[in-house]
Amino acid sequence: MTLLGRLALMLLVLVTAAGPASAQGTLAVQIPTEPPGLDLTASPASAIAAVVHYNVQECLVKVDRNGKLVPWLADRWYTTDSKNYTFFLKKGVHFHNGREMKAADVKFVLERAANPETKHPFQKRYEIIREIIVKDDYTASIALKEVNANFLLEMARQGSVIYPREAVDTLKSAPIGTGPFTVADWVRGDRIVLAKNKDYHVKGLPHLDKVTFRFIPDPNSALAALKSGDIDVSAFGLGPENVVDLKKDPRFQVILGDTTNDVILAMNNSRKLYSDKRVRLAITHAINKEEVLKGAMFGLGRILGSNVDPLNPYFVDMSKAVPYDPAQAKKLLAEAGYPNGFDAVLRVSPQYYYTVRTGEVLVSQLAKVGIKVKIEQIEWGQWLSQVYKDANYDLTIIGHAEPWDIGNYANPGYYFRWDNKDFQALYRESEQTVDDKKRREQFARLQKMMADEAPVVWLYMHPRLVVTKKGVTGIWKDLPISSMDLTEVAWQR
Amino acid sequence: MVATLLFVSVLVFVVVRVLPGDPAIVMLGLDASPDTVARLRASMGLDRPLPVQYMEWMGAALQGNLGRSIQYDVPVAGLILSRLAVTLPLTLMAAALMAFAAVPLGVYAATHHRRWGDYLTMTLSQLGIAVPAFWAGLLLVLLFSVHLGWFASGGFDGWGQGVGGAFKSLLLPAIALGLFQFAVLARTTRSAVLEVLREEYVKTARAKGVSERLVLFRHALRNAMIPILTVAGVQLGQLMAGSIILESVFYLPGLGRLALGAITARDLPVVQGVVLFVASVIVVINAAVDVLYGLTDPRIRYE
Repeated sequence: MTLLGRLALMLLVLVTAAGPASAQGTLAVQIPTEPPGLDLTASPASAIAAVVHYNVQECLVKVDRNGKLVPWLADRWYTTDSKNYTFFLKKGVHFHNGREMKAADVKFVLERAANPETKHPFQKRYEIIREIIVKDDYTASIALKEVNANFLLEMARQGSVIYPREAVDTLKSAPIGTGPFTVADWVRGDRIVLAKNKDYHVKGLPHLDKVTFRFIPDPNSALAALKSGDIDVSAFGLGPENVVDLKKDPRFQVILGDTTNDVILAMNNSRKLYSDKRVRLAITHAINKEEVLKGAMFGLGRILGSNVDPLNPYFVDMSKAVPYDPAQAKKLLAEAGYPNGFDAVLRVSPQYYYTVRTGEVLVSQLAKVGIKVKIEQIEWGQWLSQVYKDANYDLTIIGHAEPWDIGNYANPGYYFRWDNKDFQALYRESEQTVDDKKRREQFARLQKMMADEAPVVWLYMHPRLVVTKKGVTGIWKDLPISSMDLTEVAWQR
Repeated sequence: MVATLLFVSVLVFVVVRVLPGDPAIVMLGLDASPDTVARLRASMGLDRPLPVQYMEWMGAALQGNLGRSIQYDVPVAGLILSRLAVTLPLTLMAAALMAFAAVPLGVYAATHHRRWGDYLTMTLSQLGIAVPAFWAGLLLVLLFSVHLGWFASGGFDGWGQGVGGAFKSLLLPAIALGLFQFAVLARTTRSAVLEVLREEYVKTARAKGVSERLVLFRHALRNAMIPILTVAGVQLGQLMAGSIILESVFYLPGLGRLALGAITARDLPVVQGVVLFVASVIVVINAAVDVLYGLTDPRIRYE
């Protein structure tokens, strides 16, 4: 046989080897970045939360798919003054190493989080705990230094996962928890494999036997992997430009939902130009948010008027508070002393490509009122250093994914550099208000203040875009908290 | 060689630290308090004077210890070795495909100069040069993976899953990776052989009645090898560097992707380690090419 013939035969043999098949009970999920370790107490990275939070490790309380706080590792809790909480733990919950979860574990975890030596990413939030008393194996009392409206929510977030003290050293590479899945394997650079926890404390769950997380950073590769059947779910990898096409494909289902990611045009309030409220309002009036959504996001997402997003129970729709009105924008600019507009530099990071597309739409809209914007694309590390840390920018666009992050606007040191004493005072008050009706009213006032003062322009809520093979059920439609909860996911029979 | 490596080590060390971007902030994200960030920076040793940091790193590196990755908290040397298990075979496969396709094609074109075989080769090589690697990769995925389903769209299951499967994962990326270099090498081979075929001694050999086959393989090719080898040697280094893009397209856990991820995350020990490693490899390859000259050309002998 000729050399060519031999080569052709070799190729044929290679090619006809069986391709991948998704067995029922296994799921391949794509995530764009590999988690930098799997330790939720060392890094706030959402990639870690996607793999670990609610899958491998769980909390006393859980935020469910509808955004509601529900009892989880704690059966119930009890408080009369919202300053002292008593949690009654579920009995018979075992860690993956076999040991039963006890109140002492809760005490250990929370004290470790509050300890500055641990370098917990959200350490400051645990400083409000004055004391934790273990009443018995299944009862823990937590006394706070002052009333805090966010305490229960904090107990549901990724920094509060319960793990056994003897497994602290393995948190980074193979974390142990009480969750429906255990970490079976981590092939660095390629995938993480989770296996079913047969002793899970909720009977009948999970449905899946095995989950494989594959790290595919490029959206085109993610699309190819989905279409060729190498993955079953693409959670955070595809953008609206891919989704529009996939909606028409009968092999896949597109899940469109809400998130807590508010995409904003931030203005540097410490620079003379943007310290003038009239200029900020002018910019807001100059922006046609409908067009932005259509141009940058193919119409997917929801328009915002303040930081609070639709998934928040206290959400008030402020999107019409400062409407699109270029005439008013020009008027305000003239009043502020800029009748011919001004020049500005918009810094965005292509790592989050929707910010670049958004910027391109905004440039043309702002030009119509005389504001000539130049887009500067900078690398993510540089954005963090120059824009976020040093506030060295005029304008920037970024999405803030954390839920309940209104506190950033009460922080004059945050990169917006907005220092409004009234807002700060009202915010502090709301942090200590546990009465639902009263807090709702405070939040309404906070949102109105934000719309009136326009420290930034709230553009839109980034939609949740999940694409899965037909037949995958149980994936959360909305994303009220950073997690890729697979507890109830199954293949339809 | 040592001086080059020393220079490279200083350069990468300085550049990586001078660039804006703080590993602590990258790690802790947008909602961390400044205290936590400062504490993390201090624990990483980033607040000490640069020369001190450099001496510590260099000292350890000379003993084979390239530090620990900030992201993964594993030794950098081990990380590099594990990624090499993908990038090295990928690079070698691309080089092999490139050489075994380019050299015969170049020779064929040279011996069929100005006939349709030559024109076909030149067109093919022109395409190879014009098509960017990532696009070639995507096209290959589209055809062979999405449409035909013959190959996975990417990923690498590891050598433990069988050599055949591993090679299969690397085939498409190797083709895309080697495409540009194949085109360049084909042209280089063609011109080198053409040049040699015009030499006086070739005319003499033909006049003596030596068969065309022997003229080509015994006389012409050996002399044409020098420029071919030079280019191929340089290309090997470029292949290694070029793998960075294709490893992203095919989501392969290779050295290129490790470097890319480390740069974005400001994982300084990894970036330094990878650059130093790749620089060393290129320096060694160049030295090896020099030695090869001596073997093929008796006029150039290494003392």
